[in-house]
Amino acid sequence: MHLLSAELVESREILPGQHLQTYLAPDLALGAKAGQFVHMRTPDYSGLVLRRPFSVNTADRERGLITIHFRITGKGSEWIARSRPGERLEMLGPLGRPFEVDPRSRHMLLVAGGLGIAGLRMLADEAVEKGRRVVLLFGAARAAEVYPSALLPDEVEYVVASDDGSVGHHGFVTDLVAEYEAWADQAFACGPFAMLKALAGQAAGRDARLGVARLGGKRRTRGRAPALGSPLARRRAFLQVSMEQHMGCAVGACLGCVVMGARGAPQRVCREGPVFASDEIDWEIGW
Amino acid sequence: MRRTPAKRRPTVRRIKPAIVSDPSRAPAPARIESVPSSRLAGFRSAAAVDLSVDLGRGLVLENPVLVASGTFGYGVEYGDVVDVQALGAICCKGTTLRPRIGNQPPRVTETPAGMLNSIGLQNPGVDGVIEKYAPLWATWRVPVIVNVAGESIEDYVGVVRKLEGVPGIAGIELNISCPNVGKGGLQFAVDAEAAHAVTAAVRAETALPLMVKLSPNVADVRAIARAIEEGGADSISAINTLSGIAVDLHARRPLLGNVYGGVSGPAIKPIALRVVYEVAQVVDIPVVGIGGIGSTEDALEFFLVGASAVQVGTAIFADPTVPARIVEGLARYCAEHGHGAVSELVGLALPKGPRARAVPPSVKGVEYRP
Repeated sequence: MHLLSAELVESREILPGQHLQTYLAPDLALGAKAGQFVHMRTPDYSGLVLRRPFSVNTADRERGLITIHFRITGKGSEWIARSRPGERLEMLGPLGRPFEVDPRSRHMLLVAGGLGIAGLRMLADEAVEKGRRVVLLFGAARAAEVYPSALLPDEVEYVVASDDGSVGHHGFVTDLVAEYEAWADQAFACGPFAMLKALAGQAAGRDARLGVARLGGKRRTRGRAPALGSPLARRRAFLQVSMEQHMGCAVGACLGCVVMGARGAPQRVCREGPVFASDEIDWEIGW
Repeated sequence: MRRTPAKRRPTVRRIKPAIVSDPSRAPAPARIESVPSSRLAGFRSAAAVDLSVDLGRGLVLENPVLVASGTFGYGVEYGDVVDVQALGAICCKGTTLRPRIGNQPPRVTETPAGMLNSIGLQNPGVDGVIEKYAPLWATWRVPVIVNVAGESIEDYVGVVRKLEGVPGIAGIELNISCPNVGKGGLQFAVDAEAAHAVTAAVRAETALPLMVKLSPNVADVRAIARAIEEGGADSISAINTLSGIAVDLHARRPLLGNVYGGVSGPAIKPIALRVVYEVAQVVDIPVVGIGGIGSTEDALEFFLVGASAVQVGTAIFADPTVPARIVEGLARYCAEHGHGAVSELVGLALPKGPRARAVPPSVKGVEYRP
């Protein structure tokens, strides 16, 4: 965890109301792993008392750059979007726990709902770098909100669904999963709660439906099963999700950003998350 | 001036009675041997300023900047971003007799110049706190004050009994003013008799330094403060959050899962200053100011209206280094303005002038130290 001021290098609007900003922050670029986030202070210090959490969208270790991708949803994001190259913004990070990729996974299924792409984007880079095959399923309301394919690595197979049918599959992005669930070794998702909940439901029945053995399953079940929430348990779960919640401190102190865990204990999105295995979350309670 | 040798631990700096009880007298630096004689004449260095504060019953802090309950967890969460040992003290997250899972989210949201929170006292229970954190706290130089919450006098007494004698616990902050739990706490802070009853009941059970946290959600805070002092509190902290609501315009319903939350941050500073101003005039025990403090200037304002120490809360979320910077800022301000001790500032803006200390300084020593 670093507390630093990062220089804004480049800022552009990649979709209506959605911005992609590049910051010079070598410590973050070196330290951040896919799934982690930074907590940014807005330039309006008097009126806005909370920092804003952003997924690390991409990290360029050689050049010391990270990017964030966000939508303007209020005053804080508006301030940040209005910042100009050369300005320095305060960041705390990298925070949270990253995605856990099984070293033996060859095929990775990424499912993004809208801006959820920002939570998965870096994972695609890491996977491609390691020579893994990546399919990215992307769900948007309409064609105008589809993430530009030019911003993705060429190696990623990109499949789009839209609610109004203006591009790609007409319907939910979760409809597309069935086609890939047998192919994928692991799945990773970020997006609205309802989407993640639907995916968790699909993931729960997957192994039985396909009759497949999980990677390393036989060997591991001989000993003790890994503890729920441990990196190993997450690696073994078919689906990992990146969750969102209203956030305060982002380091686990204020207990503001909880989601309900499967065992009845609230889980801090900033500390135990933002990445969870889908079976760590209580999807029914609606927290 | 000589230092009192009796019953002192080497790490503890005591406030000398002469300085505290009569600020008009020429102040002498608290640690004479550490000040080069050349500096005693006119210019005072920031390092020589006595920042210590005596919150009663042996709870003597090295500096008057505490971190407020609920904003700093258990002191471990900020890791190496913050040097916890540089803080005056840490007030940990509200602790109840049994574990609580807290309120349904959303639990926090930003409001104009502030925020609303409704955590609902999520905590592992007093046994969990003692087991998980007290052993670590016992190795720290910075005192940790456990914030205690409950729904009944029995709850409070039960928690305090368990904390008694546990190494690593320096004091108790009685949270009788949490606005975010159904029937919990707040009723004790809005009624003078109830406030007296819970304070006295806890006082009877513990020899630990006892701070009681006031709610601003009352008609006349002075009556409550007096009752708490009579009940045997060693200090009063003020204020807790103000009850408030945020609305989700898009969804057309209250934003917080619990509907009600507590407002904190710069927005409540004027209210907090008013409460400290009022309370400091009616009680003799030290008052610890809380509410929207984010800078040295904010802290100074609280000292001037009668606070002996301050707690920093919401500002930590924006910048976790704020408490340490206020400590430095206070020392610098005192040096620049010719004050040998920050305690000289306490109450300068009160109608009757600086607070005269009626409560004798602590002599007990700091027994929570390992």
